[in-house]
Amino acid sequence: MRTLYAEGTGPFYRLPVRAKLLLLATLGVALFLTRSPFVLAAGPILGALVYFTLGLPFGLAARRLRPVFLTIIIVAAFSFLVSEAEEAVLQLLRLTTLMLFAATVTATTTISAFIDEITRLCRPLDRLGLMRADDIGLAFGLVVRFVPEIMTRYEAIRDAHRARGLKIRPITMIMPLILLTLRETDQIAAAIDARGLRGHSITTK
Amino acid sequence: MLEPLTLSLQERLIGVIGLNGSGKTSFARLINGLTAPSQGHVRLDGLDTVADAEALMGRVGYIFQNPANQIIMPIVAEDMEFGLRNREPDKTARMEKVAATLNALEIAHLGARRAHELSGGELQLAALAAMLVTDPDLIIFDEPTSQLDIRNRRLMERAMAALPQQRIVISHDLALIEDFERVLLFHDGRLLADATPAIAIAHYQEIAG
Amino acid sequence: MSTRGLVLVSLFAAVIVALGLLPPITLGFIPVPITAQTLGVMLAGLVLGAKRGVLSVALVLLLVIVGLPVLSGGRGGLAVFAGPTVGYLVGWLPAVFVTGLIAERIVRGRQGAITQTGCFFAAAVLGCILVLYALGTLGVMLVTGLPLIKALSGALAFIPGDLVKAGVAATVARAVQAGYPLLPIRGR
Repeated sequence: MRTLYAEGTGPFYRLPVRAKLLLLATLGVALFLTRSPFVLAAGPILGALVYFTLGLPFGLAARRLRPVFLTIIIVAAFSFLVSEAEEAVLQLLRLTTLMLFAATVTATTTISAFIDEITRLCRPLDRLGLMRADDIGLAFGLVVRFVPEIMTRYEAIRDAHRARGLKIRPITMIMPLILLTLRETDQIAAAIDARGLRGHSITTK
Repeated sequence: MLEPLTLSLQERLIGVIGLNGSGKTSFARLINGLTAPSQGHVRLDGLDTVADAEALMGRVGYIFQNPANQIIMPIVAEDMEFGLRNREPDKTARMEKVAATLNALEIAHLGARRAHELSGGELQLAALAAMLVTDPDLIIFDEPTSQLDIRNRRLMERAMAALPQQRIVISHDLALIEDFERVLLFHDGRLLADATPAIAIAHYQEIAG
Repeated sequence: MSTRGLVLVSLFAAVIVALGLLPPITLGFIPVPITAQTLGVMLAGLVLGAKRGVLSVALVLLLVIVGLPVLSGGRGGLAVFAGPTVGYLVGWLPAVFVTGLIAERIVRGRQGAITQTGCFFAAAVLGCILVLYALGTLGVMLVTGLPLIKALSGALAFIPGDLVKAGVAATVARAVQAGYPLLPIRGR
């Protein structure tokens, strides 16, 4: 389906998820503690070198960053004009660097690797009885499974409205969309319990 | 709510019929442990559905009426594999079991498909496959074909008939259960008839008017 | 967590994602087209309450982190957290919590339609506008070093659109409460 992972090889692909996230966090802290424009200027350059050589076609790679980069530029320009110019430049360099390395982690980590790592991180909570770590994978699957069904439902509601000559307004569309979706809950929950997908069987009255 | 009853279901093919709201689904849910009995016990192979629920996990399959709401992962094979996580720690073994089950039902081509793109009939077969990966001894079918068109109904019937497991089938489609060994007729929460298909159906037609 | 609760949280997260996939709506008097996604976030709190609302929104953020382009406009991945508006994203969590909490406290089963809608509206505004903008502005200040007034001024253009959204959310929430009540309130 639609995913931001990009197939490829290289050092970033081989690093375990946990390591990549820790490195990214460390980078973030380091960036915000650095005040030297020269050191910071190296950031976007290194970031771009890493990100754009991952294997994604340049246009696609750039397009993915456009929304975030736009907000970074706009706010930096705003800062530059109304506040301290130097800080605005530092901000631009920091955020752009972080953006590029964050995008690199996303492009080199599969969704299932992420989910497995998060599930692993939640195992201690599982042992404490606070939550079921495996529920994360299940919840995730449920969302991806039912988003297209909800979109189809939306189109059906929209077509029904059109056929009856009703205006398409957010209120009249979203209300039935949510109600009809929520009404599927019991059937889906029954199927999950009947298959024992959550480990121990749940008996309901 | 069901009236108290005592039954022993040994036959391999058992039908359950009755009007909507007669208690058929309540009855079925007692058998697979989805509902706990308010009085008494339900035992499968000597195991109690409440006390031994964990031991019974995966031994009773349940197919629901709505095909789409039973597949809970985006892709069919993923959904089937998810059902095996608790019982098979090795991923390769799980994938092999998934492939074998798909082949047995002759739906290997559906494994890589997205559930959203499948027809009702294909979804019901996928749901059946997802049930079968845990090698159940008994499968309960709760109106399995009522939301399917005629062609898909035939496909599902054929798949069901080929199964070796004990089956309990709730159905409005009387053709599905007319060759069974025993048919239970529920009405207003009571077990009205417990006999051969011909007799039970005759009773049913009387009360249905 | 019960299976039903898990499914509710997941289905609502799917609704929030789906609302982000719908084309933005342009209302005549507001210059910026509004997306339905933040409407979904408001509704998570109003319909599910504080606890499940937060879980639902957290699930959406999890999808973003994991690399799915589920934010409106097809945005996703860790890069979206690297922007100056990160506070508005992470702020969804406390915002929906407050919205849910207020809705649970002030909405009552026996209120008249207008009163109940008003309560939902108040919950939506206090949580998903007031708290959200406060955290978003704080985020901008921390990330960019801009002082408060300047950090806030950029966001002001979005407030009218969000007020309209809160109105829509309140109306929808009241109708959902009537048809499939989930909000843990008193006096049903």
